Amino acid sequence: MDLTTLRQKMDEAHYIYDDTLATVLYVALTLGRPLLIEGAAGVGKTEIAKVMASALDRELVRLQCYEGLDESKTLYEWNYQKQLLSIQVHMGSEDRDELTRSLFSDEYMLERPLLKSIRSEKSVVLLIDEIDKSDEEFEAFLLELLSDMQVTVPEVGTIRAKSIPFVVLTSNKARPISDALRRRCAYLYIDYPSLDKELAILRAKLPHVDDALCVAVATAVRNLRNSEAILKKPSIAEALDWTAALDALGVRELTPEIIRSTVGFVLKNNEDILTMEDMLESGELTAEECDCGHEGEEECDGHCGHHHHHHA
Amino acid sequence: MLDTEVYLEKLSLFGRLLRQEGLNVSPNETADALRILLEVGFEDREIVRAAMSTVYAKSREEQDKFNRVFNGFFISEDAIRAIDKKHSEQEARQAAARQQAEQDLDQHSSSLLYNEAQKDAYAALPEDEKERLRQLKDRFIGPESRNPELYQNFIHSVFARSILEQQLMMEDAALGAAPTDPELGLMLRDISKFSDTEIPKAVSYIHDITRQINGELTQKRKKAGRDSKLDLRRTIRKGLETGGTLYRLSYKKKRSRKKQLVILCDVSASMVQFSEFVLRFIRSLDETSESSRIFLFSEGLVEADPFRLQNMDMFRDYVRQSGLYGRGTAMGRALKELNDRVPPVFSPSTMLLVVSDAKTVDLELCASELQRTLRSAGKVFWLNPIPERKWQYVRSIMMMKELVPMLPCSTLNELGNACRKLAYM
Repeated sequence: MDLTTLRQKMDEAHYIYDDTLATVLYVALTLGRPLLIEGAAGVGKTEIAKVMASALDRELVRLQCYEGLDESKTLYEWNYQKQLLSIQVHMGSEDRDELTRSLFSDEYMLERPLLKSIRSEKSVVLLIDEIDKSDEEFEAFLLELLSDMQVTVPEVGTIRAKSIPFVVLTSNKARPISDALRRRCAYLYIDYPSLDKELAILRAKLPHVDDALCVAVATAVRNLRNSEAILKKPSIAEALDWTAALDALGVRELTPEIIRSTVGFVLKNNEDILTMEDMLESGELTAEECDCGHEGEEECDGHCGHHHHHHA
Repeated sequence: MLDTEVYLEKLSLFGRLLRQEGLNVSPNETADALRILLEVGFEDREIVRAAMSTVYAKSREEQDKFNRVFNGFFISEDAIRAIDKKHSEQEARQAAARQQAEQDLDQHSSSLLYNEAQKDAYAALPEDEKERLRQLKDRFIGPESRNPELYQNFIHSVFARSILEQQLMMEDAALGAAPTDPELGLMLRDISKFSDTEIPKAVSYIHDITRQINGELTQKRKKAGRDSKLDLRRTIRKGLETGGTLYRLSYKKKRSRKKQLVILCDVSASMVQFSEFVLRFIRSLDETSESSRIFLFSEGLVEADPFRLQNMDMFRDYVRQSGLYGRGTAMGRALKELNDRVPPVFSPSTMLLVVSDAKTVDLELCASELQRTLRSAGKVFWLNPIPERKWQYVRSIMMMKELVPMLPCSTLNELGNACRKLAYM
């Protein structure tokens, strides 16, 4: 697949992307490397895997990482209970060796996401979400899988991949990822989107919402993110929630009262809400200063939040 | 075919430059980069940058370095000429300034006494400072004729001092300027120079870093617990529930022992901001110690009330109320008071953490009291906010460093590393 085709597919999936993102995805696909994505919470890291699955028309296999995750939960597990039952049932059987062999066959193996993704006949998209939450041993175990696309099960032997999955790893930086894993991956850092991109996302995800409202929300969210004093910056998901909530309330215009009553959708702690109060009073929150480089109304078309926005 | 070889040659050179910047570049990456370049071509510079950054840079810090090297390497002819011109102009200016400096220095003592770096520092001195130095000669006209050698030594020491101060200032200025990423910038800058608007940002970084350290610690503990042995007694008892079949296996759990932490925190005028950051750090490391006691000192010593310190935003008010705010430093006296306390503060299971810049008025007493503490406390560490490269100029730091392991903590980055080191002990 070349870059243009990839872009077309992503357009078809209604995903808003920029050139850098498209190029990075293309590089990872071409080299067959796993893609490690880092960035603040809620910038759309997980979304990329979903979009790639739909763009490439592959199944998405998801592995959510957490502390204490180990091979038995990610790769395979012997169905111990079933094995025990089988032993009890076949207690009187003559051929003991045959019984032992049969206990370690596919029938008793519980397939977990990683094994499923490499044993699948058709290539899948494997999302290993929040790898930073897992332990270091699990990371080390992933190395074999990611570099050689094979895993070793002591009772069965080495299982080679039938198809090569497109692997996406995401991290919130709760702990540093080892260099060995980084080296094997293509790397992407996602920052909060620019005003234009955010607006495009709002329009694409919520096509029925009034455009002026989208512009107002995107501007306010941009201003909140730009403020040094806000500790937990609002994410794209929160901007979407806010817009949807405002739309559901039938709001057409962002007034200070409306902002106050719905701010819980974007800001999630008290200090930030107090800061926002200050910003509202100084007019900083709804300021129209524009970073898109447009000067006149006719050039700008309102994409940047200029001229369309009502001052509080 | 020829194309490929030319590309390879350029790429291996590019790889070498990246390695000089500290990136890990293996032949694998060069091969990948070549494959990608052949696919995407050279038409769009930004696409080439994004593609190669994906191959070479594996973290945000590395992306930053990559961009610097990329901008310097993939550059148009015109841009190269413009940079060349700028460079030669700058060099000419520098040479002129150095010549001027040499002339100035020759008039007073001999320019041979100074090395190139010192001459550059002299050239960068502000004009009024230079003027002051020039006038030295006129002011000491008498002594010069009486004892030329003594005069020469004196003049040289005055010059050397001014030049050293200038050098230190230039180093400080360069420290904040280098990184382009604002987030990385704050991590690598001197904590005592944070402005008020930057403090909330810095505090949120502290939360991020401590979250990271806490995460590492729980994982370390879990790891220690996992290779524990099978608990046979419990397994058999559990097995009774399932008719003697060992259906569920139980493992022995180890209990980890934590240390008692005593923090001796300098809150004199120059230290209060730094101490606030350190305390924030240590308080958010929930796994560090079982219990901790915090003592604040400047000219006197006060034990901090842990409940009052729960809200660190009130720290300064608290220090003000305790009467320690804006005073000088008498660390020897504070340590003596701590050592003399009954019941004793230190025991072999306590770890003392000293947070101070070591600029104290009673150095001798401080050294002897510190030796006393070393005998009674389990471990002693010193967090010092002065950048490590300046330690050699401060006598008290050199002296204390001999007694106690000293960790440099002038930036958030260093402070994070120091806390990680302490937490792991």
